[in-house]
Amino acid sequence: MGRYIGKRILTGALTVLAAIVLSFLLIHLAPGDPASILSGMDSPSPEMEEALRVKYGLDQPLLSQLWTYLKNLAQGDLGESISNSRPVAELIAERLGPTLLLSLTTAVLSLLLGTALGIYCARRAGSKLDAAMNGVSYLFDSMPGFWLGMMLILIFASSLKILPTAGMVDLRGGYTGFAHYMDVLKHLVLPGLTLTLISTPYFFRIARSSVIQVMSEDFITTLRATGMSESRIFNKYVFKNAILPTVTVFGITLAYIFTGVAVIEIVFSWPGMGSFMLKAIGNRDYPLLMGIYLILSISVAVCMIVVDVIYAFIDPRIRYS
Amino acid sequence: MPILEVRNLSVAYTTKNRRIAAVQGVSLEIEERDAVGIVGESGSGKSTLAMAMLRLLPKNGAEVKGEVLLNGTDLLALPEDKLSKLRWKELAVVFQKSMNSLSPVHRIGTQMADVYRLHESSASKKEAKRRIVELLEMVNLPERVYKLYPHELSGGMMQRVAIALSLMHHPRLLILDEATTALDVVTQGQILEEMMELERKLGITRLMITHDMSVVATSCNKVVVMYAGQVVEAGLVKDVLTKPAHPYTQGLLRSIPSFDGEKSNIRGIPGSIPALDVPLAGCAFAERCEFAAASCRTSKPQLAELPDRRQVACHLRGGEIHAQ
Amino acid sequence: MKRALSAINGNIQLKIGTILIALLVLVALLAPLLATHDPYVLGDELTAPPGAKHLLGTDGLGRDVYSMLVYGARTSLLIGIVAAVISGVIGTLLGGIAGFYRGSVDRTLTEVNNIFLIMPTFFLILLVVAMFGSSMLNVMLIIGLTSWVGNARLMRAQAMSLRERTFVLGAVAIGESKRQILFKHIIPNGIFPIIANTTMNISGAILTEASLSFLGLGDPNVISWGQIVFNGRSYLTSGWWISTFSGLTIVVTVLAFYMIGDGLNRVLSPKLRNNN
Repeated sequence: MGRYIGKRILTGALTVLAAIVLSFLLIHLAPGDPASILSGMDSPSPEMEEALRVKYGLDQPLLSQLWTYLKNLAQGDLGESISNSRPVAELIAERLGPTLLLSLTTAVLSLLLGTALGIYCARRAGSKLDAAMNGVSYLFDSMPGFWLGMMLILIFASSLKILPTAGMVDLRGGYTGFAHYMDVLKHLVLPGLTLTLISTPYFFRIARSSVIQVMSEDFITTLRATGMSESRIFNKYVFKNAILPTVTVFGITLAYIFTGVAVIEIVFSWPGMGSFMLKAIGNRDYPLLMGIYLILSISVAVCMIVVDVIYAFIDPRIRYS
Repeated sequence: MPILEVRNLSVAYTTKNRRIAAVQGVSLEIEERDAVGIVGESGSGKSTLAMAMLRLLPKNGAEVKGEVLLNGTDLLALPEDKLSKLRWKELAVVFQKSMNSLSPVHRIGTQMADVYRLHESSASKKEAKRRIVELLEMVNLPERVYKLYPHELSGGMMQRVAIALSLMHHPRLLILDEATTALDVVTQGQILEEMMELERKLGITRLMITHDMSVVATSCNKVVVMYAGQVVEAGLVKDVLTKPAHPYTQGLLRSIPSFDGEKSNIRGIPGSIPALDVPLAGCAFAERCEFAAASCRTSKPQLAELPDRRQVACHLRGGEIHAQ
Repeated sequence: MKRALSAINGNIQLKIGTILIALLVLVALLAPLLATHDPYVLGDELTAPPGAKHLLGTDGLGRDVYSMLVYGARTSLLIGIVAAVISGVIGTLLGGIAGFYRGSVDRTLTEVNNIFLIMPTFFLILLVVAMFGSSMLNVMLIIGLTSWVGNARLMRAQAMSLRERTFVLGAVAIGESKRQILFKHIIPNGIFPIIANTTMNISGAILTEASLSFLGLGDPNVISWGQIVFNGRSYLTSGWWISTFSGLTIVVTVLAFYMIGDGLNRVLSPKLRNNN
């Protein structure tokens, strides 16, 4: 088990390292010189160039520049955002909360919903219901998140007016305490629903194929031959065997959700990290964009490691090997 | 009364546009304390036969006709709840892929205890464990296996676990479906010996499904030879294996090398089994049979009784045993 | 050819999917004939609702939505297919090499695979396009360079099982070089699941491109459905048809490719067929 966990931690660490190296390479390989990329200006002033040169060691050989870059990162320095003139790390820290709220809520919801539906359909594989659910699953998989969000706004917020159109809180409400939480919850519905709808199909498919696979295994036939009831076979034996692959996949789907959340935030003006992405792109605020990229890579790597460690504990084949 | 009587059992797999006749009109009788070997190559229908008898075939996609009488009760006609009461108590099975015969994510002891409680629902945890350890000892496995997971055991050990599991409720009939095929020869020999010892002690009747004639030769007293879903020959092992009557059986025996005796040429049987989705007019073996006559291709031979409890389905049997 | 047609007919997903894509290809090819207006021209009627003159209405700058959608088909198809093919080629090569050569090469490549699996590649794509420019070529390249993970995995599994097959062992015995065996035997025989997967990758590429356009990172010189959705955002309540119809075309196109991919999977690998 130790080896398994060690390997997963290594992969996570390598992923973060890869993201860092790629960012670094981008600064140096993209058209334009690093100084203008880092400052966001086509021709930065001499003082600015000097400051950047000192900070990033721009006149040194590439490898030592990479080392400087890593050192800065280790100290939590992600550079300065051009459009906001504040440290990137600060900006991201402010917005991380809402992004996590939206992503993690969605991750858990789509896991539960997708898995439940997947199991339900697997037991009725081949039926009309199963075929219909498969179709629906593909349908939602084909929708761009931003479009679905806009359509939901159109229907529920604009036409029916039962849910807010944007933001995380009602700025005019001034709610506190419990009312504040309810307000946030009300605003969470549409963006959360959007992200959940496009993430659920993934879990649905994994759960469904996993259950179908397990039900055709030899040991299930053996248990049937003993006269054990179908419900006991399913609830105890099929379930535990089938649920394990779902856990493995959770980590990867989390990565997928973290990717999709940014665009959803833009559509709903949700005050998370994605929300200032649009402006950053327009302003060529590369330090900010790279900061987001790095933080997301780290978040995903951490989540994956946590999920894999949990998996190592619940799968006896890994725990006792 | 025979402990197991199969009357005209037929199994057909139906897919969207094909109907595969895997088992066609098989009848056989097994007396108590017999050790019967059902032999045949892949596709002969022997495994399907076992699954059909145990009612383990999928409900849709498989048509089962005929009767399977266990001590006079037709298993195929029993309602589900009554059948569950019989399962494992009267009739148990050991499958081939032993490594996968138990759930890989539950402990062996847990699963065996679950099976124990199926028929002893009021048993305490201690009682169940006691019985399981007793069974493990019977198959020469240490007590610590109770706490282990399947992947922590070797193939041979798992096979022993599967056997121990099958003996849990003292079944009267035990079906072994290619149970030793996946094992190396040495382990196979050991397990067969242990099995036979247990049978003697516990008075179990065994039905052994295999493609390996040598296993039948060493451990069974009766043999049934199947080809393309039908029984082509049946009888006592000592008779059939020394003086095979059906050309297919002769071919099977000729294809096994022997360590002692003269070096005879090993010959396989050219050709392959006929497609099972097309109904055949004559004998299914006619295409590959060196003695086939015109009538063999047009009329299907029925299983006929010969002296010495021998049965053969062949137009040419007529009492003559063909020389090798 | 006949077998292909009967296979398509037999599987409902393939049938619907192929018909839809065939229609789409036709639309893309015959765009000038099918469009009612020049999609670039800024008309007089701004944000006009769907009607006789403008089948699907106009956007905020007076451009005919229907015509833009028709021309947008070219962009989506081109980017989708080229990006997917690039990812298919890269995935096949890397997966084939990893699965066939095994050893440290395999370990390294698998680790790279795992890294790209975890990494949020969309942001990488975003960064690259933002920094290197958002031409169609860049977009196609970067999407292709980051979405080969699934293909590599499939090909690796195929290579690992194929290398034990008799005809491969025979080729080794004859003395064919490893490179020859890889390209002559392993890849051609293992390619089938990759084809189905690549079809699904087309869907992924189209969605990614749409997201990029939505963020303003698409090629400004071509018409892209994602761009139209983005433009329609400011007019969501006053001109709902702009974003709605453009999004719908994306959904239908992506769905059609998924169906073909799924159908191919069912037809080409019987194991999956039994899940029905």
